[in-house]
Amino acid sequence: MKQLLKERGDAVPASVRSDLEHIFRAAYPKVVGVAARVLGSRDEAEDVAQEAFLAFGRTDVPAGEALGWLCVAAAHTALNHLRSGRRRVSREEAASDRLTVAPDVADTVVAKEEHQRVRAALSRLPRKQAVALVLRHSGLSYAEVAAALDLSPGSVGTTVRRAESALREELNRHASSR
Amino acid sequence: MRHPGDGVLRRLLDEPDGVADVDRLHVEDCAECGSRMASSGADALLIGSALDFGTDVDVDAGWQRLTGSLAAAEAPRPVRPRRRSVRTPFVAVVGVVALLGGASAAAAGNWFQIFRTEQVTPITIPQADLVQLPELEEFGAMRVESRPKIRDVGDVREAREATGLASPRVTNLPTGVTGRPHFLVGDRVLGVFQFDRAKAEKALGRPVPEPPAGLTATEFRLTAGPGLVAVWPGNSGMPALMVGRVVAPKAFSNGVPFETARDYLLSLPGLPESVAGQLKAFAKDGGTLPLIVEEGSETSFTTKVGKAPATVLSAEGGALSVVFWVQDGFINVAGGSLSTDEVLRVAKETRWAQ
Repeated sequence: MKQLLKERGDAVPASVRSDLEHIFRAAYPKVVGVAARVLGSRDEAEDVAQEAFLAFGRTDVPAGEALGWLCVAAAHTALNHLRSGRRRVSREEAASDRLTVAPDVADTVVAKEEHQRVRAALSRLPRKQAVALVLRHSGLSYAEVAAALDLSPGSVGTTVRRAESALREELNRHASSR
Repeated sequence: MRHPGDGVLRRLLDEPDGVADVDRLHVEDCAECGSRMASSGADALLIGSALDFGTDVDVDAGWQRLTGSLAAAEAPRPVRPRRRSVRTPFVAVVGVVALLGGASAAAAGNWFQIFRTEQVTPITIPQADLVQLPELEEFGAMRVESRPKIRDVGDVREAREATGLASPRVTNLPTGVTGRPHFLVGDRVLGVFQFDRAKAEKALGRPVPEPPAGLTATEFRLTAGPGLVAVWPGNSGMPALMVGRVVAPKAFSNGVPFETARDYLLSLPGLPESVAGQLKAFAKDGGTLPLIVEEGSETSFTTKVGKAPATVLSAEGGALSVVFWVQDGFINVAGGSLSTDEVLRVAKETRWAQ
């Protein structure tokens, strides 16, 4: 057993898939990004990403489908965290300080409270819409989102559009109520 | 010409090459579509901004953390090995119940020790006490005569044939749960336990009270199962939904009543007094199934499914919920990555089909 572990380099148990490190290094930033978009917290996003990779390590999901699988797993897990209210306010506050938005859209930047509102609304969306939205905004192509969610590529745009429209309405409703 | 749908316009913003030429050309010349596309673009920008989050990720540190977690998951548990494998009837009984928990080890792993079955009642004890609970095989001879042999079967018909049980029919799946379930089945487990005073004293490191007359000569046959569960897989490794049932555990004695033995065992000094007292109190109810719930990691409440008493447990801050209810000699369960309201609705609407 020790010999096996040695051969596997970083003490990865033999029961874990052999291509895990390669996939991890390629996909980890994106998987963290998916969870971070849902949670608004890098620390919590890393927790979720680690959870997803732990589960993935014991699957036989083909390597070509790994990114989609991991991103969907991270999105679902993060949405579950959102829904359960498991997140800690302090983390949210700390995370908001690290928020980055492109300068040319500075006038569209929403305030911290609105970020929280968007994420609350995100957790109320139909699950498939929410996941498609987050995956797309995390940089997955339409084909990748379609494959990961078992959608036709043609319906990805419709799903994402509906989700964006619902979230925008949420923001507008909040803005008009102030 | 017909205007392209919103989905096409949305994709045109991101991947123009993925849109048919005819649609692209149409949008270029159509004021109405141009306006719709501008609106779509504004929404995409707004939501993109709201969701945007810079993540400066340290991949090396992440990998180190993951390998540590993987190694820890593989390493032997630092506590007694009772929960590592299905070895004793009591643990095997839990194995069948854990079967009903599907892959939801986070929840199922916290429950063990089943004595009676007509009502489900949770007992909450601190983690420190949980790991001190003595394993029954340390109190006598435990002979396992049949194991559950939990396995995945092809379809519902095979599950019914393997177990002789009715299968659950859920017509109104919760939001986010889709597709067809796969089925897990487990055979009946049977074990025989005989109390041994010397072993008990060795396990506890101290003398034990005089056992009830006839206890050491009595054999207790403990059975549970068979069981089956329908599992709708989720994307995060845990079931999105699982619904199943197991024939409730039973205890038979060829000598002193099982309740007498149970009360004696629970009074032994290895068991915290508070827990022993709770268990004895439950025994007076004439039929309970104590579930020992790890304090702080789960919440629970009692309710009813139809007319049957039920216990609802939730873990992971409410992201994972399970309801148990006992009826007609079965322990039924519905659970998954759902809220407690959702699992209760599923439990109430589930029909059992032969």
